[in-house]
Amino acid sequence: MIEFTHVFKRFPSGFDALRDINLRIEAGEMAFITGHSGAGKSTLLRLITAIERPTRGEALVNGRNLTKLQRRRIPYFRREIGVVFQDHKLLLDRTVYDNVALPLIVTGADDKEIPKRVRAALEMVGLLDKERMYPVTLSGGEQQRVGIARAVVNKPPLLLADEPTGNLDSKLSDEILDLFLDFHHHGVTVLIATHDPHLIDRARQRVIELNHGELALDSGAVA
Amino acid sequence: MIRNYFLRHAQVFFYTLGQLSRTPVASFLTVAVIGITLALPAGLYVALENVQRLARGWEDNGQISLFLKQDLSDADIEKLSGKIRKLPAVSWVDYISRQAALAEFKKLSGFGDALGSLDRNPLPPVLIVHPAGSHTRPDALQSLLKDLRRYSEVELAQLDLEWVRRLYAMLDLAKQGVLILTAGLAVAVLLIIGNTIRLAVLNRRDEIEIIKLIGGTNTFIRRPFLYSGAIQGFLGAIMAWLLVGLGLLILSGPVHRLASLYGSLFVVENMGFLATLALIGTGGLLGWLGSRLAVGRHLQAIEPR
Repeated sequence: MIEFTHVFKRFPSGFDALRDINLRIEAGEMAFITGHSGAGKSTLLRLITAIERPTRGEALVNGRNLTKLQRRRIPYFRREIGVVFQDHKLLLDRTVYDNVALPLIVTGADDKEIPKRVRAALEMVGLLDKERMYPVTLSGGEQQRVGIARAVVNKPPLLLADEPTGNLDSKLSDEILDLFLDFHHHGVTVLIATHDPHLIDRARQRVIELNHGELALDSGAVA
Repeated sequence: MIRNYFLRHAQVFFYTLGQLSRTPVASFLTVAVIGITLALPAGLYVALENVQRLARGWEDNGQISLFLKQDLSDADIEKLSGKIRKLPAVSWVDYISRQAALAEFKKLSGFGDALGSLDRNPLPPVLIVHPAGSHTRPDALQSLLKDLRRYSEVELAQLDLEWVRRLYAMLDLAKQGVLILTAGLAVAVLLIIGNTIRLAVLNRRDEIEIIKLIGGTNTFIRRPFLYSGAIQGFLGAIMAWLLVGLGLLILSGPVHRLASLYGSLFVVENMGFLATLALIGTGGLLGWLGSRLAVGRHLQAIEPR
């Protein structure tokens, strides 16, 4: 699903965010990317979502070569990836339902399909009864779950999460983690960037640690 | 699939209408500025059309007076008149004999008694040449005039409405002026819309970023802004039409009074159906184009952080 070979990312300022990353994550795997702040976790995710491009090396994601991916193909590439953000990035002027429906509308899904799929996604995260509410009226944990519902409503084969539990207490974090584990068990490739050791310990999945832009540790795939 | 496509567009259209109505003051101000900007050239166009229509009425009287030599016999004049009548540019010819001219002059001038004391009639015989309907344009009249001057019997040939020609030249000039003004104001409308849309794009920066992250194409992101620009341009054009109509309504009374003083039945007319269609179409198109230019530039700049 993800294959990095000697990937470097240097920013115009001259700062090396990633150095010589070699990484292979198979379809259906679940992995945590960890490391101190500034270690390159976010940069790695930004490369995978084609927000940034590698300066050197070869990066394959979902069968696409990111160094060669045409600009106009990027939107179609991103439709295969669900992304969950630390600050959930919900549209505050739209209801929970409309937020979750957004990826379907963007991709031009069939109109009759949309309500079914939105409700299925909301049911998965346990927020079916809140579909008419606006994000600001929800708790932090609920907002994050709306973000997750939006990320999976398109049934993407790859799910990325950048510090998904960063703003949540441990009980809520566990609930969120359970959701990700559930997606993993349904065959979705899940990649979570976090520096929360509790989350990593509990999940017992593959751990990839970055240190100053270099790969410091890779526990390897968990059977 | 096709049905879905139209449904999407209808959804975006109504969504955009909703967005515009949620900020009624700002939307109205934009529409008003566009309306006033478009009303200026549209109003001038209507004014020119009316003046031209008025001039066309005079032009029908664009007759040529041929003052003939004094010593011609009635038979000579009859022969000349016959020749002129056969010219393709001529519709008909009236003959005013020396006696008739004198009688008319006496009646109209009030110098009847003074003229009576003259020992002979000083007035020449006159042929009034009415040009054919197809030859009323100033240049056609001018060439007819030149032809008529060549007859040896003619002492003096005079285009009665020389000034109509000048008016036409002025109208042509004014038309060019309106055209230039229209082009300038069209650019102004583009800038107004462009600026409005630029602000809208910046206001919705977060939303655009998110849509880009979940795989929205530029076409998709652009669409509501294009609708917004086109709708505002369209409403602006309707506003301009209303403003012109209001202006004409205010002017129609005084114009009618002035015209009746000249014994004319002239009434001001609003722009025709096609011109109205052109105005409204232009408004919508300018809105779309202005929006397209602004969105194209700013969308590139907004990338997910």
